[in-house]
Amino acid sequence: MLFSRLGIAFTFSPNALRLLKIAHRLQKLFQSELIIIHAGEDSKEIREKIFTMIKEANLPDHSYEIIIREGETSKTISKICEEKNIDLLISGALEKESLLKYYLGSVARRLMHELPCSLLVIVNPENISDSFQRFCVNVDYSPQNEAAVKKAYEFAKLENAKEFILVREFQIPGLAITIYDGGETDRAEKTRLEIQKEEEEKLKIFSDELNLTGLEVKRVCLYGKQGWELKQYATDSKSDLLVISSPPKKLKLFDKIFQHDIEFILNQLPCSLLIIRS
Amino acid sequence: MNLSSTEITIFLLSISIILFFARGFGELFRLIKQPIVIGEIIAGIFLGPTILGSLFPEFYNSIFNKLDSVAIALHGITSLGIIMLLIVTGIEIDISVMIKQGKKSFVISVMGILFPFLIGFLSAYFFPSQLGLTNSDLHLVYSLFIGTALSVTALPVVARTLMELNIFKTEVGFSIITSAMLIDLTGWLIFSVLLGIIGKSQSNNFEVYEVILILAAFTLFVFLFLKKLIDKTLGFSKKYLSSPGAILNIIFILGFLSAAFTEYIGIHAIFGAFIIGIAIGDSVHVTENVKEMINQLVTNIFAPLFFVSIGLRINFIQNFDFALVGIFLSLSLIGKLFGAYLGANLSGFNKNESLTVAFGLNAHGTIEIVLGMVAYESGLIDEKVFVSLIIMALITTLTSAPLMNIFIKRSKALLKLSNLLKPQSIIFTNADNKEELIKQLCKNIYQTNNIIDYEKLVARVIERENQMSTGLENHLAVPHARMNIKVPIVALAIHKNGIDFNSLDNLPAKLIILLITPEDNPEMQLELLSEIALKLSNKNFIEELIKSENADEVISKIKLLY
Repeated sequence: MLFSRLGIAFTFSPNALRLLKIAHRLQKLFQSELIIIHAGEDSKEIREKIFTMIKEANLPDHSYEIIIREGETSKTISKICEEKNIDLLISGALEKESLLKYYLGSVARRLMHELPCSLLVIVNPENISDSFQRFCVNVDYSPQNEAAVKKAYEFAKLENAKEFILVREFQIPGLAITIYDGGETDRAEKTRLEIQKEEEEKLKIFSDELNLTGLEVKRVCLYGKQGWELKQYATDSKSDLLVISSPPKKLKLFDKIFQHDIEFILNQLPCSLLIIRS
Repeated sequence: MNLSSTEITIFLLSISIILFFARGFGELFRLIKQPIVIGEIIAGIFLGPTILGSLFPEFYNSIFNKLDSVAIALHGITSLGIIMLLIVTGIEIDISVMIKQGKKSFVISVMGILFPFLIGFLSAYFFPSQLGLTNSDLHLVYSLFIGTALSVTALPVVARTLMELNIFKTEVGFSIITSAMLIDLTGWLIFSVLLGIIGKSQSNNFEVYEVILILAAFTLFVFLFLKKLIDKTLGFSKKYLSSPGAILNIIFILGFLSAAFTEYIGIHAIFGAFIIGIAIGDSVHVTENVKEMINQLVTNIFAPLFFVSIGLRINFIQNFDFALVGIFLSLSLIGKLFGAYLGANLSGFNKNESLTVAFGLNAHGTIEIVLGMVAYESGLIDEKVFVSLIIMALITTLTSAPLMNIFIKRSKALLKLSNLLKPQSIIFTNADNKEELIKQLCKNIYQTNNIIDYEKLVARVIERENQMSTGLENHLAVPHARMNIKVPIVALAIHKNGIDFNSLDNLPAKLIILLITPEDNPEMQLELLSEIALKLSNKNFIEELIKSENADEVISKIKLLY
């Protein structure tokens, strides 16, 4: 089973109903359990409001569990995910963040960093069709990434996706500065092309090694700033789900000042985002 | 006040002569695969009081020395050159790449700075007169400066060398470049504080502690807020203004403004240029093309004016102090090589790799020269010390590439088939089937590297083979697996009759390479597999290789590919 326990971070936002519907669809797709988590005040009125929405979303009785707990939102949700062994949390997010929110951190952003499980951040849920059709998957060749790509591929197969694109970004720090001391632009360009060819060959071997059969795999190697190129490509290719493996460490303020790859994506989500933690 | 027609004529003539000789000497050095900047400095020595000035003093004086107004104009334009050079240097400092490299580049940089800095500082502090101190009021600052001067590394020289040696993408190459960036950054930060202290004695704008506070606040402001604003502005100009002209324009406007600010607070214009350069370089809109364009403009026009101007001002023969050059060179070699070697070794590199890192980081190059020039202009050092620093920079820069070349060849940093293959790992076989052949190769690896569990190895290779055949085209097959090892291991088999490997072109496999790589490093496996696939894509070469009669012949033929 791809994800056996789904969680949904429930808030009373305008998108709440649509998110519930998406969570229910994925619950059926993965044949998993669904836990509705609300971090906030627990009262009779609140429960009634949630039940009304659940009913509106057509969730069958006994197909879900509700947990309401007071506390700081991201920490409470993370704790519940840990206690309940949730392996994928679904959450909504704003597409773009202000500079102040960028440094202080929104709930969705904190969830992305603190969560013990995988996270599916849905952007513009009202625009999402019945299934994710264009998967854009980041490749960084780490052991965690191998597992993430395999999982993303299984997900895409279940969705019967039209496109599954593996995107590898690469960079050669210092190459431009070789021009600095009498270096020739042609020589730098030649080096870049050679490395591009190597990267393409590596990506081909990588996908062959993973033995991805069933859906056709498209491979793309992009030269440029990591994270940024991926975000641009996901936008240009009109992907509806961007998949990345979770960064190995929790990001600190330093990573925000000198942007970590993932920060380019989190800063302005190009589409829904699946962060796979393996 | 306007310049007269004669003054303008002499000014333009002097610039033309400078650029002409800079290009000529630079190209000569390029021919012998040395940095052009060395040629430019030698052009200055040739045109200046050292050679032209002493042989043809009248000609020299009439062009470069006769009119004060021309000298001022030349000084202005060389100052502009130095500021532009620092903007470019800053743009190339990629802090996010340094963070990604993490502990390794941090350890190498700290050691690569700490040792030469301490050696330089302590030597100058305890033996000030031997190390050229002339103004005893500046004893502490001078000692700190010598420490800083011995610890800097020239990023452009390092980058060029890595390209020449084709090790940009290796771990050693990546560590060298990121450490050089970190060393540059730290060196400039220390130097800016020193300039602040010296500036105090020259301008009365602020107290030293105020300068340091303003400096810290300015740096934080640039990185926390201005950086984002710059990114947005450059994005806007890319979208709505004439590109790339507008981007170049904005980059230099910001650079000059920032330089003006730090000059005003009593540090030096170059620090502002450097810091804003880092912020500009972080923008996603400053693409490689934009960087290359700026590099071309700055390094072909403005930087040569600066580098030649050094020789124009100073007589290198009169100010040459053999003992001082020897002291600086020895201190630099001991401190830098030992520190960087130790840092690389602690980061997990072996002896040869660590020596490659150490010699790579020992190139002082252009940064040293800029540092020396600023210190000389601010009265911290005299001509003799400045000349010694330049000579030290030239020698360390000249020797860096050849010495790196020696050690990189000896190390296994170059992940290449030719480096990994040993005569004892090559077998000639008549195995009946694929499984038997795989077992023979595994046995060879087990016998030559008994760190591996034979049964487990066979199981892993066959498991991978069952998943999908590793038979490629042109009689080549590359079975592979990942094991708990530290460095990759290769064994090669030649089967003259060929064996069925379910190859893509249905041809029997005659050249079979078994590749075992560390299980915690999937990328290493991909790199080696792609390297083998790309290098051995020529059918004629493989047929020639299969004809080999012994292991040495195989190795010598494979080496021809590199």
